[in-house]
Amino acid sequence: MIEIESLKKQYKKVTVLDIPQLSIPKSQCFGLVGNNGAGKTTLFRIILDLVRATEGRVLLHGDDVSKTEDWKRIVGSYLDEHMLLGYLTPSEYFEVLRKIYGLSDEDLRLHLAKFEEFFNGEIIELPKYIRDLSKGNLKKVGIAAAMIANPEVVLLDEPFENLDPSSQKRLKKFILREKKEKSTTFLISSHDLDHVTDICDRIVLLEKGLVIQDLKGSRVSMVEALNTYFEG
Amino acid sequence: MHLLMLFKLQIKRTFRSVSFSRNLVGGFFLGLLVLMVLIYVLIFAFALKKIIEDGFGFEDALVFLNANLFFILIGEYFYRYFLQKLPVIELQNYLHLPIPRSSIVHYMLMKSFISPLSIVMILLFTPFALTEIAPELGLLAALGWLSAIVFASWSIHWIVMFTKQRLGDNLIGIAAMFIVYTASFGAQYFGWYNAGELLAPYFETAMVSIAPSIGMFAVIGLLYYGTFLYYRKVAYLEELSRSMDVQFVNHSLGFMSRFGTAGTIADLEWKLIIRHKKSRNYLFISLIFLFYGILFYGNELYAGEDGFSHFFLFIGIFITGIFMFQYGQLFLSWNSANFDFFLMNHKGIEALVRGKYLLFAFISIVCFILSVPYVYYGWNVLFVHIATFLFNMGVNIHLVVLMALWKPKPMDINKSAMFNYEGVGAAQFLMFIPLMIFPYLIYLPIAMVFDFKVGLISLGLIGLVGILYFRQLSQLAIDNLIRNRYSVATSFRQET
Repeated sequence: MIEIESLKKQYKKVTVLDIPQLSIPKSQCFGLVGNNGAGKTTLFRIILDLVRATEGRVLLHGDDVSKTEDWKRIVGSYLDEHMLLGYLTPSEYFEVLRKIYGLSDEDLRLHLAKFEEFFNGEIIELPKYIRDLSKGNLKKVGIAAAMIANPEVVLLDEPFENLDPSSQKRLKKFILREKKEKSTTFLISSHDLDHVTDICDRIVLLEKGLVIQDLKGSRVSMVEALNTYFEG
Repeated sequence: MHLLMLFKLQIKRTFRSVSFSRNLVGGFFLGLLVLMVLIYVLIFAFALKKIIEDGFGFEDALVFLNANLFFILIGEYFYRYFLQKLPVIELQNYLHLPIPRSSIVHYMLMKSFISPLSIVMILLFTPFALTEIAPELGLLAALGWLSAIVFASWSIHWIVMFTKQRLGDNLIGIAAMFIVYTASFGAQYFGWYNAGELLAPYFETAMVSIAPSIGMFAVIGLLYYGTFLYYRKVAYLEELSRSMDVQFVNHSLGFMSRFGTAGTIADLEWKLIIRHKKSRNYLFISLIFLFYGILFYGNELYAGEDGFSHFFLFIGIFITGIFMFQYGQLFLSWNSANFDFFLMNHKGIEALVRGKYLLFAFISIVCFILSVPYVYYGWNVLFVHIATFLFNMGVNIHLVVLMALWKPKPMDINKSAMFNYEGVGAAQFLMFIPLMIFPYLIYLPIAMVFDFKVGLISLGLIGLVGILYFRQLSQLAIDNLIRNRYSVATSFRQET
């Protein structure tokens, strides 16, 4: 699904990301962990063609993401507020996305219905601009927006941050269900090892831009490896 | 102590900001422009006596000045109101720290005072005081007179700082002053009473006594203190975010949807405009400019025998295009907070640019239609408007967009009126120059050789050609933006 080939990102002389090869197959839940400055967000931004790679390329379905645009129809993402339109209400925002993706009213209604529990009655009904929402609610809007068009790939940066415990649980359930029902590929970065090991079947550990561990296998073994790293 | 630290931080902030390094060249030219203006002021200052006595034929320049400084000072209020920026400081950065609120406010106010505007009056009247007053009445008289003027001008600075923040940017302050100005000017013109004479004794006394200057200095102190008290009161985060709970604005240009995704974006952009104070003001200004023509079209000074003057082109271009000039020069900055949204959507950039074009065209068309009644001043005025409208649509619209795409800067449109004068300054006027000169370059030679009608027709035809090639021309802007997408997105995220 996603192929990363000799990818490098440098700011001035400092290399912030250096990934010789990485491939993420379809339907994988790919977890990305690492301390601050490890390059998680940079990697996501390069995959999404928001930042230019110094060297190398990212292929999605075999297409170079910096050369084409068609992949944007099958990729949903939420990295930060820059991807929202703060001066709209959440409903208006979803409506704009509906038009851009060419969905029907019914598509949108069904989609939002799936998030009803997750939204907890605080998103759709309130006449509030997105910019005035709390951080947790912003995140909810962003996540729901990322998945609006049934994307094949979803990238989420720190999706659990700022969410309350019940919402975190609901989100995990939701991700697992989507993955099972639609074989959606998820790329999730997180500081929270518990959440990410709960849902991901592969975890890549970044340190200063380098992949230093690529963990697959049972949850217990992954947790153990991660704990050793982060405590050391 | 705190103040010094804040100033140091400000200097760092300026030099380290993303836009500084990118706009070194622009900043340099702007600085040059300011210097040039100040030099012109100085030249004007040295010729002041000659201009008043020989140019306007008044007997005694000093008497004339004393009687008219009132108007000059009101004029100063105007240009300060438009040019003076309210102190921009990230209050949020400091309010939670154990720095006294009053230090922060003192800093903000002092920073606002350090400006070329504060020395204009010194430059303008020092030569006159030294060469005209000093030889006759002595140096002390000259200094007294000069300081009376300069202190009055500095008082106006604080009045402007206060009114501008107090009234937000709803132009009441300027409207009130405008009424005072026209009323007093009109009264003098018709000989009812002379408002200038009200202040004349003040300046006359200043030449023989030091009291008026000291008095005015005290007034500065009082005004500063009053402004300080007010700013200290409003320097809260919730005051800062005051504009956020403006009434829920919910108009929509639903019919735009017919134009596909670009239409959806145009509708979005419309929501952006009406939901932010800054952009709403631009809309408001374009409505005001509709009346701009009344000043000139009916005026015999400009309108020739056939009710036409080459100058009218200028007005036509403004009336039908002011919105896209003003709003358009910050083309992408409006979307700087959510540029990633457009990057992340399929053909988002293309839709964004086309959507904006669509909206500009729509608003220009509305302005053009609203300006049709000017036909009252003769058919020629209508011809001018048609020609300039076509030219705006076909050529200037692309010029605006292409110029604006040159290194766009991020802008926080959510900041309240208090700190939201970003991007409104001299740079804005710089951009107008090519937009104004270009049509004349086409029109004037033709109008000189043939006559003005041929000139207008040529102008309109060139506009039409531009409209016919709209797709190709707008594609230039789209390609340009897609090429520069990384650097634009990076600067908008305020990263390096």
